[in-house]
Amino acid sequence: MPSGEIHGLLGPNGAGKTTLCKILSTVLLPTSGRAEICGYDVVTETAAVRRLIGIVFGGERGLYTRLTARANLEFWAALYGLHGADARRRVDALLERLGLERRADERVETYSRGMKQRLHLARGLIGDPRVLILDEPTIGMDPVAAEDFRWLVTSLRSEGRTILVTTHDMSEAEAICDRVTLIDNGTILATERPSTLGTWITRYARVRASALAPEQVAPVVAAVSEISGVADVREISPGTLLVDTAADGAAPAVLRRLLELGVTDVATTRPDLAEVYLRVIGNRGMRVDR
Amino acid sequence: MTTAILPRTAVAARSYARGVSAGLRRELRELRRSPDRLMALVTAPLLTLVFVAIMLNNGRDDLAPYAVLAPALLVLWQMALQTSGDTVEAERENGSLEALVAAPSSFPAVIAGRILAVTAVSMLGFAESWAVAALVGVRVAIVHPGVFVGALVVTAFATACSALALAALFVRTRAARAFQNTLTYPFYILGGVMVPVEFLPDWIEPLTRLVFLSWSSDLIRQSLLPGPVQGLAEHVVAIVLLGVVSCAIGGFLIRLALREVRESGTIGHA
Repeated sequence: MPSGEIHGLLGPNGAGKTTLCKILSTVLLPTSGRAEICGYDVVTETAAVRRLIGIVFGGERGLYTRLTARANLEFWAALYGLHGADARRRVDALLERLGLERRADERVETYSRGMKQRLHLARGLIGDPRVLILDEPTIGMDPVAAEDFRWLVTSLRSEGRTILVTTHDMSEAEAICDRVTLIDNGTILATERPSTLGTWITRYARVRASALAPEQVAPVVAAVSEISGVADVREISPGTLLVDTAADGAAPAVLRRLLELGVTDVATTRPDLAEVYLRVIGNRGMRVDR
Repeated sequence: MTTAILPRTAVAARSYARGVSAGLRRELRELRRSPDRLMALVTAPLLTLVFVAIMLNNGRDDLAPYAVLAPALLVLWQMALQTSGDTVEAERENGSLEALVAAPSSFPAVIAGRILAVTAVSMLGFAESWAVAALVGVRVAIVHPGVFVGALVVTAFATACSALALAALFVRTRAARAFQNTLTYPFYILGGVMVPVEFLPDWIEPLTRLVFLSWSSDLIRQSLLPGPVQGLAEHVVAIVLLGVVSCAIGGFLIRLALREVRESGTIGHA
């Protein structure tokens, strides 16, 4: 990863995203292979690596909930060698930056999930790290909190920090990452620009047509199946069809044809990551293994 | 070679001191907000009342030092076992162990700092016992104050060291509750907390000499009784030595446990 990049790590559950983050942050030892952070080996030069990184694990665990946010950060500041006025300045600055200053002296157990996640980020930044590792930082957040969090992460890039972020959410990866890597079973499948993800998402859009009369179903299935780029058409419940596309521009063509056939209750959905894996990565054959 | 080693040693020492200090301060803050972890201190006054009442009803005023000292030592060991012993496993259950391991300060140092804080707080049991006994008219004089204070200091050191070994043992075996339940009364007996070890069967005595509490309880008791203190140096050396051995075992086991969970990928398992 080049310095100053936000790099997304995408993959389904069990792909190895968290394991990679833990190896890079020296929490786990790799069974094989070698990884370096800013030129320091994560196995043999752990002390140097630990001074350079900040790590934020997703979810609500990991904070000392009976302490205040300020006390939590003061503890972590001490572990990173900050004391006295320096520690106070750093803690105050982070509390303000993350919007926690008004409730900084309240116990963390009274915080919402979004606030806890912001406190996690503040903890990750306490040592002023050059490399920040964020493991599913927005998991469980509501959309507004997640959007705020993404804005914060992108603002960190402008400070020259290098950020590795894992996520299940393709739109999140598109929004904040300079590049993304797809992994599965601990293996890198592909590294792409987020715009490529956008293409995948558009290409593999799914169209849902509902409220079809029983006599409409067969002709609509036949007509839609003829459209170039349509991979599959199936009736998932009486009067409801699901159309899978597999080519650029296929979804708009399906929508137009449905309207021509008098079907107006239609919707498009984006494929989730698992579907993209099955349909995009699965189809790339040898190319994805490079 | 020396120049290469010295800076690394200095860095490691600084990292260790930083960890101890941070762990100690955090633990004191947490204990202030966690009365449930201080329950042992609630039992000390009650136990003192029971022991003193038995003593008074039997007309054995001469046993006052025993009746007052026992609850304080019970609190000391109970907090070492329950509160300090849980420190590593609690970090694991809280989900903070991984971030602690990834921090630049020494993880065992943070745990040592936390245990020191718990041990310091558990010493309040002595003040409680003396105060409660005084409230019911039993005043236990400290005949040899220097020996008394010195004995408390080395006892606190050995307690903290033993707690470090216990914390490491609990996290390695994942059976903290079982150990916490079984390591209380045997240690009260072997430590001479309730009954001086010389009253126990002869065959048990060698075993009691491996438990720092037996030396501590004996020395503290002697500091409360008239007459010269017997074997002062021997007691102090034994307490410190047993503490150092426990500390070495605890530090080794914590590093070993960390290495194992880092290799096996189970570090975050709660």
